[in-house]
Amino acid sequence: MNLVSGIMFVIMLITAFVYYIVPKKAKPYTLLIISIAFYISLGWQPLIFILFSSITTYIAGILLENKENKTIKKIILAITVILNGLILVILKNRIFVKDIIVPMGISYYTFQVISYIADIYKKKYEAQKNLAKYFLYTMYFPYLSIGPINRYNDITPTLYETDKKFNSSQVFYGLLRILFGIFKKLVVANRIQILIATITGDTNTYQGAFALFAMLLYSIEIYCDFSGGIDVVIGFSKILQIKVMENFNNPYSSENIQEFWRRWHISLSNWFRDYVYIPLGGSRCGNLRTNINVLIVFILSGLWHGTQYILWGLLHGIFLLLGKVIKTPWKIVNRVITFLIVSILWAFFIWPNTVQACQMIASVFTRFNYQALIQNIGSLGLSLANYIVLIIATIMVFIYEGKKKVINEKIKNKAPEIKLILTISAILIILVFGVYGIGFDASQFIYNKF
Amino acid sequence: MKTIKRIINVIVILVIAILIFYLLNKLLMPKYMTDLVEGSMISQYYDEEKNHEVIFIGDCEVYANFSPMVLYQEKGITSYVRGSSQQMIWQSYYLLKETLKYEIPKIVVFNVNSMRYSEPVSEAYNRLTLDKMKWSKEKYDMIKASMLDEETMTSYIFPILRYHDRFDKLTKEDIEYLFDKKKNTYQGFLINKEIKPLENKPVVKKLANYQFADIDYEYLEKIKDLCEENNIKLLLIKAPSVYPHWYDEYDAQIEKFAEENHINFVNFLDKVGEIGIDYSQDTYDRGLHLNLTGATKLSKYFATYLKENYELTDYRENKEIDDIYQKKLEQYMKEIM
Repeated sequence: MNLVSGIMFVIMLITAFVYYIVPKKAKPYTLLIISIAFYISLGWQPLIFILFSSITTYIAGILLENKENKTIKKIILAITVILNGLILVILKNRIFVKDIIVPMGISYYTFQVISYIADIYKKKYEAQKNLAKYFLYTMYFPYLSIGPINRYNDITPTLYETDKKFNSSQVFYGLLRILFGIFKKLVVANRIQILIATITGDTNTYQGAFALFAMLLYSIEIYCDFSGGIDVVIGFSKILQIKVMENFNNPYSSENIQEFWRRWHISLSNWFRDYVYIPLGGSRCGNLRTNINVLIVFILSGLWHGTQYILWGLLHGIFLLLGKVIKTPWKIVNRVITFLIVSILWAFFIWPNTVQACQMIASVFTRFNYQALIQNIGSLGLSLANYIVLIIATIMVFIYEGKKKVINEKIKNKAPEIKLILTISAILIILVFGVYGIGFDASQFIYNKF
Repeated sequence: MKTIKRIINVIVILVIAILIFYLLNKLLMPKYMTDLVEGSMISQYYDEEKNHEVIFIGDCEVYANFSPMVLYQEKGITSYVRGSSQQMIWQSYYLLKETLKYEIPKIVVFNVNSMRYSEPVSEAYNRLTLDKMKWSKEKYDMIKASMLDEETMTSYIFPILRYHDRFDKLTKEDIEYLFDKKKNTYQGFLINKEIKPLENKPVVKKLANYQFADIDYEYLEKIKDLCEENNIKLLLIKAPSVYPHWYDEYDAQIEKFAEENHINFVNFLDKVGEIGIDYSQDTYDRGLHLNLTGATKLSKYFATYLKENYELTDYRENKEIDDIYQKKLEQYMKEIM
């Protein structure tokens, strides 16, 4: 189900309404019922898989807590992780299961339950005994479609909290965050998608400068698309006073690839750091081993996105290692270089066929026909007015992202009437300048498929 | 006091927001005044005086081929064409239902060409019929019956959801006709004076199935029942458009239905010679529609047919109505000259 659809808006509205009118103790259970209903609406098969993952890790959590024998604990951990990991690999790559519907958010919830079970193994916190509450952690519907990958001890305090009173300020900020996410998705990302579709639609004509143009634009598109979706999840959760972790922190202001991954898809990076990199020895085992660990993590990160993204992950790992030794003394130059590397590597997302992606990257260096790009920029699917909207909207997004705290602080002190005007203006701007509706087929978020 | 002031402020802001939203919807909706004028035809009916004894329903074969002004001029018949592009039979039914809320004619003329279609053809055609129709239960039902999978009811209720991408295509026309509209038909008849002769008769392809779909019969029955309930005589016609080809198998099915239900059916394709239609002169798109001269010939013939077969009033003898029609005729004559 699409996060920016009318039906989703209605579901969120009803959920928020019901959440605040039910008795305190019923709040988590109400959310669980709605989440299950949401999942059932996607089909019975996905529900079975998420229930399986939830039940196996729930039982494993209790068993791990009660066992003292280290070997038995390791076996329980290994079996649970392998079982859930295998289901993820089999379903995502459709090995033996061609006709099964891949459950929505399987990559996200599988990583969540693995983090839970690993934390219980490490005695970070107690296992959840209440099955319904545990189900809510695995099935809370907003983050199922796009993440982030929430840690049990981060989200559950507010997810299970029952003593909540309606807070108009939280509702306003939640709503504003949702609208900002929708703005990023519909006004910026979907508009760029039109250009990307034209360029990828004719790989013989659109190479070289066109390919680079697509890569640079895609950097903005995927950011606005993915972070826009996360904004909707965080904003809606804010309305319910549930604290969902931030998944982005100005990634394109990074000065090297290492910093980029501290700012991009933070929940996934942290997950790999805590559950793969550190258990492999992290940076404690000498340079060579550290570098190998980094490359393993990035290959696995690529694999998480799909087998065709392994090279993308590996290249990120290599550039991360190179960035440790090669850098300029100028911040701005480092930022531009990092942005260019990241953008060029998005080629593997733009052209999912690895060979074709490599050809397109090569064409940037061999067929850089910038004059053809300038001459044809008007025939790539966007009118001049649309380009202007795209440029203004993109600048607005990055200014807000960069000065979010200051702007929010300023808004905070404004009268409710001003806040209302701001909200209504945002809705009207999205309605007019958003790219959606008949004839446009990119309403799903890019990261829905992972 | 402060709270009351705040409540008033909020109400004012909401009212202004609703007003802006309403204006944006109106601004972005196509006006259909100079381009795709077919989209404005349905709404022009609402401004007319409702005293028609004959109402036409159907697709472009009615609004391009039958001129109510000629019917009046020839025999004093008052009529209106509630036609629209690619009007589906379910749309004809709901349009008729809506029309009957305003007036009860003596005769309803239904062009049967749409019987060949069992499902909506395109969203664009739906829009041409539905966009400018007044909101009513009939419009709601018509939308439900007409929508393609990718369409939504909300986009009909709030046109901004469909037409927001027109923000970079707005022209002077969108401002000029924001609240205003101009008449571009004469009683629903769209004048076209161009001549594009029919050079070669189109190749007739054999079909796998000639049987009209159940849904078409269902709505034809509904139209018939609606007419019976209101004591209206239903007249089925097939306009003399050369293509899309009207198969004998289609004709036989309509003949049978008409016979079983004691309804008159006139296939004007069989009367082309009698009417005097010359496809080298009387069509503006190689036989698909008649042009002004063709429509005038057909309308003259049809006026005589109606007068001979039905009891219709000659409104030329009614001074009050004749005055109105004479003014219309004056304008019409100026335009066709």
